[in-house]
Amino acid sequence: MSSKIEVPRPRSIDRSKLSYVRLHAPEVREAPKPLMIDRSSAAYSSAQPSVLEKNVHSPVTPGAVHFPLFKVTPSLQKAADKRIAQYPDDQRRSAVLPLLHEVQHRHGFISPESIEWVAKKLDIAAIKVVEVVTFYPGFRQKAPGKLHFRVCRTLSCAMGGSYELMAKLCELTGIDRDLADAHKDPISVSPCGNYSVEYAECLASCGTAPVCLVNDDFHEGVTPEKAEGLIAQYES
Amino acid sequence: MSDITYLPGKEPHEKEHRLIFKNVDRKGWNTKIKTYLKEGGYEMAKKALKMEPQEVINEVKASGLRGRGGAGFPTGIKWGFIPPNNTKPVYLICNADESEPGTFKDRYILHQDPHQLIEGMVISAYAVGAHVAYIYIREEFPEAAITLEKAIADAKKNGFLGKDIQGSGFDLEIYVHRGAAAYICGEETGLIESLEGKRPYPRIKPPYFPAAIGLYMAPTIVNNVESLCHVVHILRMGGEEYVKLGTPRNSGTRIVCVSGDVKNPGFFEIEVGKVTFEELLYDMCGGPRDGRKLKAVIPGGSSSKILRCNETFKIGRGEDAKEMTFWQLPLDFDTLAAAGSMAGSGGVIVMDDTRRMSWVLNNITHFYAHESCGQCTPCREGSTWMKKVSDRIEDGKATPNDVQVLEDIAYQIDGKTVCAFGEASAWPVEAMIDKFRDELVGETSDENDTRSAERVAQEQFLSAVQ
Ligand SMILES: Cc1cc2nc3c(=O)[nH]c(=O)nc-3n(C[C@H](O)[C@H](O)[C@H](O)COP(=O)(O)O)c2cc1C
Ligand code: SF4
Ligand code: FES
Repeated sequence: MSSKIEVPRPRSIDRSKLSYVRLHAPEVREAPKPLMIDRSSAAYSSAQPSVLEKNVHSPVTPGAVHFPLFKVTPSLQKAADKRIAQYPDDQRRSAVLPLLHEVQHRHGFISPESIEWVAKKLDIAAIKVVEVVTFYPGFRQKAPGKLHFRVCRTLSCAMGGSYELMAKLCELTGIDRDLADAHKDPISVSPCGNYSVEYAECLASCGTAPVCLVNDDFHEGVTPEKAEGLIAQYES
Repeated sequence: MSDITYLPGKEPHEKEHRLIFKNVDRKGWNTKIKTYLKEGGYEMAKKALKMEPQEVINEVKASGLRGRGGAGFPTGIKWGFIPPNNTKPVYLICNADESEPGTFKDRYILHQDPHQLIEGMVISAYAVGAHVAYIYIREEFPEAAITLEKAIADAKKNGFLGKDIQGSGFDLEIYVHRGAAAYICGEETGLIESLEGKRPYPRIKPPYFPAAIGLYMAPTIVNNVESLCHVVHILRMGGEEYVKLGTPRNSGTRIVCVSGDVKNPGFFEIEVGKVTFEELLYDMCGGPRDGRKLKAVIPGGSSSKILRCNETFKIGRGEDAKEMTFWQLPLDFDTLAAAGSMAGSGGVIVMDDTRRMSWVLNNITHFYAHESCGQCTPCREGSTWMKKVSDRIEDGKATPNDVQVLEDIAYQIDGKTVCAFGEASAWPVEAMIDKFRDELVGETSDENDTRSAERVAQEQFLSAVQ
């Protein structure tokens, strides 16, 4: 077959625009060599790339400056021990969620180091913590802004104008939500790192729609016109 | 009780009957245990601890209380399912994951009246023989989690929790466990998996009925916040007296939450079956906004089937069958089931004639596509397909056949999944197409390109090669 015909590319995709590509830098892999496993060799038992390296990506965001790097402090240890004591001795794994909450509360997001710490603390494999972190939308894998807005997008709030509220918040804070994806990358951080936004599903206050959470504070009846006042509340 | 006054603008409507929400938005009320004790708080816990556990269960059975979490299963009967020869510890879990779109009742109990819930849990735990109880609270209630932990500590200090409660020899510890923003954690077996520290993949029933094999493979009772609070009032009134509230087989009060296109949305505690949609939406919620007409209502959380406001239903069987318009339907479990929907979690979402149904449908399918846990194929793939097809319809890019495709997908999820999320995601779509087919088809066009973007690119590619 002659290869002279010029073939158009099927579709040109600007891969740098896709969120998951940005998050997961392409792996450079070598072609696998056929190999006989020598189980006695030192290389076999020495460290393989850890599950964390392969599965957890914590891109650095402008918001990171607002949160201390992960460090095991006595206060974290104490809080963790208190949580672990809530569950039967042989069921320490139950404390995965509470411990991750403790970490996220202090450090803004769940970093690979913190996953390692939680796994060690509970005597479980790191993958068991990773599977939890990657499933629940409540755990962030990258730092949000200093003010993290979670706007309810479900039916009653959408009828009340929450999509417009989101647009307004993005406009006021200079956030570009174009690359956000509900599953892969729900959080968008402003270039200054002070703000971030995310859509939440029904926050159980549909009667006072539209509603949103700012960090841990709940706000109801936030029509798009009130967006500016909402941000101003935290500026002082 | 006439000495109770409420915050201005928050007074209950005269058709309400406040038991659970007696203290919500009440003037001078707070979450302190002192305030609760002054009102005769924890008296019912003391009373229960002097009874035999079986007597408490009988009282709840006599009350006919049906679970307020969504399924409407009789609570007393559920408690009776714990295997009699059980040797493992029994657990009680309070399901405070309130995340069904349209529902906002547990929020107020958790934020404003935590001791009522704790008292209900003490009674329930005593009845089922649990010494450890968990409150699984959704992550988006950070304030309530703190309030609850404070309330639990106070209750412990006052001897209503901990070892040997009020000298009865009964021990109980309650712990708060926070979820992490996943709707599926509301499903009871998903909740249990989540509490065990795993992904909340629901377990298959049978055999994993929580009352037999639940948390840590031990018998576990999962009840909604509101259901547990009702137990306090059942003990106070006595099952015989409680059952007189509401209508036969639908006893007690329940909180309905109205949101959407009415003048005064909000929560109303009503006797089950004593209020019709007309009374609820016009008298209590003030009717539609000016110049608009009500079009459709989702009666029990977004998972329930939508009803058209101009529909008529045939309720009852044989001789007793009655024609009823939508407005005459009383809000109870059985009538709504007969009307082809369900009372579910009590979240009433109202839409007026300015709403495009394709838009509403699209919003709902996005919710379910986001929240499917992904464990079983019909639900995982189906919910995403439904999202994509409804995206097309909403965008005006669909062909009339797409509506049929959407309906087919829904019917292939329904009944074929591990947990009831399958139905929860398929029912709204089925009902929406059933009731508003013409409107949806009206937004499609035969002219639209049926080819996918990939297909178009492929065809271009092939024609260039030739
Ligand atoms: C997809 C799904 C979501 C649910 N979400 C909730 C919820 O948010 N809150 C709740 O109390 N029950 C929820 N339920 C119902 C629970 O599985 C369970 O039936 C209920 O907690 C039992 O309590 P009850 O008997 O007091 O109603 C959900 C069920 C399903 C299938
Ligand atoms: S029906 Fe959906 S939510 Fe339920 S187990 Fe299957 S995939 Fe998960
Ligand atoms: S829809 Fe926004 S709180 Fe329920």
